Amino acid sequence: MIAAASAVVVLHAGEPQQELDNVIVTARRPMKEIGIQKTTFDSTALKENVALSMADVLAYNSSVFVKSYGRATLSTVAFRGTSASHTQVSWNGMRINNPMLGMTDFSTIPSFFVDRASLLHGSSSVTEAGGGLGGLVKLGTAPDMPEGFGLAYIQGIGSFRTFDEFGRITFRNDRWATSTRVVYSSSPNDFRYTNHDKKLNIYDDDNNIIGQYNPTERNRSGSFKDFHVLQEVYFTPGGGNRFGMSAWFVNSNRELPMLTTDYADETDFDNRQRERTFRGVVSWDHSRSSWKTGLRGGYVNTWLAYDYRREMAPGAPMATMTCSRSRVNTVYGQAEGEYTPSRKWYFTTSASIYQHFVRSTDRSSAVAPSESERIGYDRARVEFSGSVSAKWQPTQWLGMSMIVREELFGDRWAAPVPAFFVDALLSRKGNLMAKASVTRNHRFPSLNDLYFMPGGNPDLKAEEGYTYDAGLSCLVGEADHFSLSGSATWFDSKIDNWIIWLPTTKGFFSPRNVKRVHAYGVELKTGIAWRPLERWLFDFNASYSWTPSVNIGDKMSSADLSVGKQLPYVPVHSSSFTARVQHRGWSLLYKWCYYSRRYTMSSNDLSISGYLPDYYMNNISLEKAFSFRPLDLQLKLAVNNLFNEDYLSVLSRPMPGINFEFFIAVTPKF
Amino acid sequence: MKWDYGEPEDFVVSGNGLFIVCEGNFQYGNGSLSYYDPAERTVVNEAFFRANGYRLGDVAQSMTMANGLGWIVVNNSHVVFAIDPQTFREVGRITGFTSPRYIHFVSPTKAYVTQLWDNRIFIVDPVAYRITGHITVPGMAFDQGSTEEMVQIGDYVYCNCWSYQKKIIRIDTRTDCVDGEVEVGVQPTSLVSDCLGRLWTLSDGGFDGNPAGYESASLYCINPDNLEIERQFQFRRTDDPSALTINGTGDTIYWINRDVWRMDVRSSRPPVRPFLEERSTRFYGLTVDPRRGDVYVADAIDYQQQGIVYRFTGLGQPLDSFYVGITPGTFCWN
Repeated sequence: MIAAASAVVVLHAGEPQQELDNVIVTARRPMKEIGIQKTTFDSTALKENVALSMADVLAYNSSVFVKSYGRATLSTVAFRGTSASHTQVSWNGMRINNPMLGMTDFSTIPSFFVDRASLLHGSSSVTEAGGGLGGLVKLGTAPDMPEGFGLAYIQGIGSFRTFDEFGRITFRNDRWATSTRVVYSSSPNDFRYTNHDKKLNIYDDDNNIIGQYNPTERNRSGSFKDFHVLQEVYFTPGGGNRFGMSAWFVNSNRELPMLTTDYADETDFDNRQRERTFRGVVSWDHSRSSWKTGLRGGYVNTWLAYDYRREMAPGAPMATMTCSRSRVNTVYGQAEGEYTPSRKWYFTTSASIYQHFVRSTDRSSAVAPSESERIGYDRARVEFSGSVSAKWQPTQWLGMSMIVREELFGDRWAAPVPAFFVDALLSRKGNLMAKASVTRNHRFPSLNDLYFMPGGNPDLKAEEGYTYDAGLSCLVGEADHFSLSGSATWFDSKIDNWIIWLPTTKGFFSPRNVKRVHAYGVELKTGIAWRPLERWLFDFNASYSWTPSVNIGDKMSSADLSVGKQLPYVPVHSSSFTARVQHRGWSLLYKWCYYSRRYTMSSNDLSISGYLPDYYMNNISLEKAFSFRPLDLQLKLAVNNLFNEDYLSVLSRPMPGINFEFFIAVTPKF
Repeated sequence: MKWDYGEPEDFVVSGNGLFIVCEGNFQYGNGSLSYYDPAERTVVNEAFFRANGYRLGDVAQSMTMANGLGWIVVNNSHVVFAIDPQTFREVGRITGFTSPRYIHFVSPTKAYVTQLWDNRIFIVDPVAYRITGHITVPGMAFDQGSTEEMVQIGDYVYCNCWSYQKKIIRIDTRTDCVDGEVEVGVQPTSLVSDCLGRLWTLSDGGFDGNPAGYESASLYCINPDNLEIERQFQFRRTDDPSALTINGTGDTIYWINRDVWRMDVRSSRPPVRPFLEERSTRFYGLTVDPRRGDVYVADAIDYQQQGIVYRFTGLGQPLDSFYVGITPGTFCWN
């Protein structure tokens, strides 16, 4: 929808899709997407700023909830009032959720590495994978480069000594396309903020407190150095064949910022997380007039290290307090096929298999030399997912789709997941569409849920539930002049056996199936693109979500006040807005997002620690493109947190105030 | 975002109340302090925050009364706050710890602070509010270091070593050195002394995969003079006892094992029936009023909302209940 709304759009049923200088002409709706609730991001949103992670892109261009623990710190994404582990994430067809944690850190996915991004809301995620009780984020690369050699380099210099560098080399001819992309981001990330959670004392000579004040502190222990490289090769030999290879390597070294309530001296402690991840996917697609088949293979290797150390004495070596190491190896394979016997029928089938090998330990060999003194687990799990679907479009006015998905996790088969979708073109005028779907879905516990030492609970049951949604969408426009789109979707889901990690009397946490959750609400989206004069473009997009997510389980005791209450850290209202004006190489972009009050207690208590107030966030950027004979040059100034909002996304996690970044992009012409 | 922290409030409370130290959620900085007046049956929640205008911190672990002040150990904020127990206002703070757990006053000018993930017990000067030294626990690796609750008998302070440990150590307060230890069961969680001058500790037995071992939990009675175990009462493998405490006269010990149990310190057999039965509750903290003998037990419910404290008479009759902060774990009598 965003793709359609972010450019001038006109519908011409039966015509192929064309792209003409910011004008997208969309063909009849594809049968593959009958009844699907989907948000697609255009390249403007994805490539707007080299320094953005996918967490930033999603926060300002969709209605999902991005929970950020700080700048360049863990950022998770949740749909429709569910949790981060209910969001499935795929990259070039391969699921990349961490099998240990079940979730994905979107702060480690640079938006410049993503050419295709879309959201599949609620039951629509079943078309790609199971387990997306909230939805699925679909990311991918594509051979979008121009013919011949291409070279681009972008340098970003920003507040808090932030340096972002991006380079890309491309080549493309009739058969081959290659791309190499590199991103390196670093910063001490020591932004200043007013610490409202702490006061410093002013003492007299007798150690009596004679005054107190909220200090202006720097974000302590928040530095990061992230390096990414992405290599892609595409080969199109003809005969309907296309081969692809993409390999992405991440080397991240991040400190974990200290809490606002921490009174330690940051030089006494080293609290750091390091990650090295390789993800690779090879693919073969073969297309014929009425059928299509594809094979994919992939491999993921992740090394995660967490170290918490403290200095024993000034100048002395640091002593280790916690030393966690995890290694994940995942082998992936997938086969899929599509068959279109007529214009009215469309069949698909898919089977994927993931074999995870996870080794997680919580003591270094240096500290605990014997195997018996190490704490952790060493497990393998196979995950199979197979689906068949039939889609029927008897007329252009009506489409129906039925999917059945079957999944295996380890030695546990899930009950089949059926999903039914229907859409109807209510009016060709305005392209007024109605969509509805229903599905049963489930999410199996992650490997940490089951086996983490200590606390893992191998007796956990899968979270499962039913999801329904229905909505209307419309799209009107005039070729090369304006477009107006909008959609409204109602959804309702109930999830049983919701997993929560709870403390134990032995000092560690352990997961349990404790809650039943009713998540429901409305998603609204609209977009206007307007080209009043030659070389002028106005583009506005807005989204709003109302997402009550209520605990409807049994009381844990008679004193339990959480039943009937909104889940912690799930805002009831969230909204985003972007406005872009383009003229003769100038581009002005304004972004805004809003999250309503988030409760921090399951009882929704309105005490001081019981909630985080609502907040607005405003960003703006101005860009100018110059074209010279040897090269194209782009200059850009981005201002984040424009009004210097003093806010929190999560309790005790400092967030930066107004900050700036200047970019210069150079694209030589060959 | 609007900050609704408001101005500090003025409190003046009675001197015979109960402080409830609520851990909050780890890494969320929402530990809190509640105060309950048993005579008036009134409770003040978020007492530290409301009196001072800033947060108590992350994982409020314990509180001790000494020198006319309340000393609150805030584990993951690496701080010990001293407050006026009548107004809840801060009067000083000590920083520089690794992961503080409990504070014990040896004298008005010297206190010990135990640690997690550190094999040192810090020595502090509570008058100057500074760390003056430390006691290294022999035979304990730094990263598996754990010292917990302290009990003083004469010139000796006894301390249970809990996480990944299985011993009680003895510290000579004159030399600030560990001069003895006794091995008990895996992970002794708590420590009290009775009216007969003996020590009682409760081991939780660890967990499967624990390098210190995994066994059934046990209750131990220890002779502090020769550091020998006088008695051991073993629980079932599935039991999960915690929160050993003792009444004001030192003749009855109490603990949580799903239900609340109690036992006369002279008894040769463990009780067969609980003192208070659990009713879908998650008893997490336990204390006995040293003056009245009333029993207070905290239910953390789901650990994400205000916990509740139930008050019973010494005969087990319910007297009162009141909500406090998140995860009420320990108590301190004023």
